[in-house]
Amino acid sequence: MTRRSVLSAVILLVLLAAGIFAWRSRATPDERAIQGRLDALRNEVNASTKDGLGTALRAAQIGSYFTDDAVVELGEGAAPIKGRDTLMGMVARLQPRTAAFRMDLDDITIDMAPGSTAADVLLTASFVRRNISTGEESLDAREYALVMTKADGTWRISRITAIDTLR
Amino acid sequence: MSTGSLTRRVVFGRDPRRTLVRVLVLAFLSFIIFKWVLIPIRAEGISMEPTYRSGSLNLVNRLAYRSRPPDRGDIVAIKLAGPHVLYVKRIIGLPGEHLVIERGQVYINGAPLPESYVKNRRGWDVPEVTLTSREYFVIGDNRGMRAADHDFGRVDVSRILGKVIF
Repeated sequence: MTRRSVLSAVILLVLLAAGIFAWRSRATPDERAIQGRLDALRNEVNASTKDGLGTALRAAQIGSYFTDDAVVELGEGAAPIKGRDTLMGMVARLQPRTAAFRMDLDDITIDMAPGSTAADVLLTASFVRRNISTGEESLDAREYALVMTKADGTWRISRITAIDTLR
Repeated sequence: MSTGSLTRRVVFGRDPRRTLVRVLVLAFLSFIIFKWVLIPIRAEGISMEPTYRSGSLNLVNRLAYRSRPPDRGDIVAIKLAGPHVLYVKRIIGLPGEHLVIERGQVYINGAPLPESYVKNRRGWDVPEVTLTSREYFVIGDNRGMRAADHDFGRVDVSRILGKVIF
């Protein structure tokens, strides 16, 4: 075997490995839709009221990402938040303070059966808070398990449960 | 030799095809190493001070615990939902041990744990914890902050991604 053919074989193997990796990590249309919804929710939360939208309108827009009977469980010591209206009320009260923080969503894993209208999502939400006086940023990250359901072609969050990584 | 050809030679080498292959192999190896072996991370927050300052760049060795289990004193990276956001903490309690913190002093199975890496210490109190055969107790080096602002506790071995080596 000549050196040239060995080289060609190595390049072919590398390209093959890259192809298999890309094929295995491809997302289904529903997974892409869920990813898109979560990206949009993150953008909505991070957008300040500077864009002309009022607090109530912003809260309503964030609320549209949740089902009517959505439940948010933040862990020990915090009562579960039940219902979209309760959630929207809380978002509206928190809204003026959200300009001081930024939310990122990382390591999103979507688990669902093909054609299903429910999906389990695992992700890490990071909240970067900026101290207004010093400009210093602090990061608080937490893992969350989400249940998302599809109704009328739209994916919405029906449950959020905070996971204690360190107990 | 003209400036143009010198530049070409510096950029592409004597044999551009061979240079291209080298670049591809190097890129492939870098991808493998930095995705599955040595993960570069940036520390955020003050919980590991003074050992790691906020903003410092570090590497996590994912293969560190292939041949041996994590040990007391190791600084480890702990994954949350995945490998992109990690906790960086020090192991102070091993599986099966009883751990308690009284007025800031850590006791393992009743004996005080010497911790030269802790420079500031507040009077934290943590009730006795018994670790299972799969659990480690992890905590940051900065004990001068409020316990309520500091993430620490028991962690399952499956969440330990690797050892912070730099």
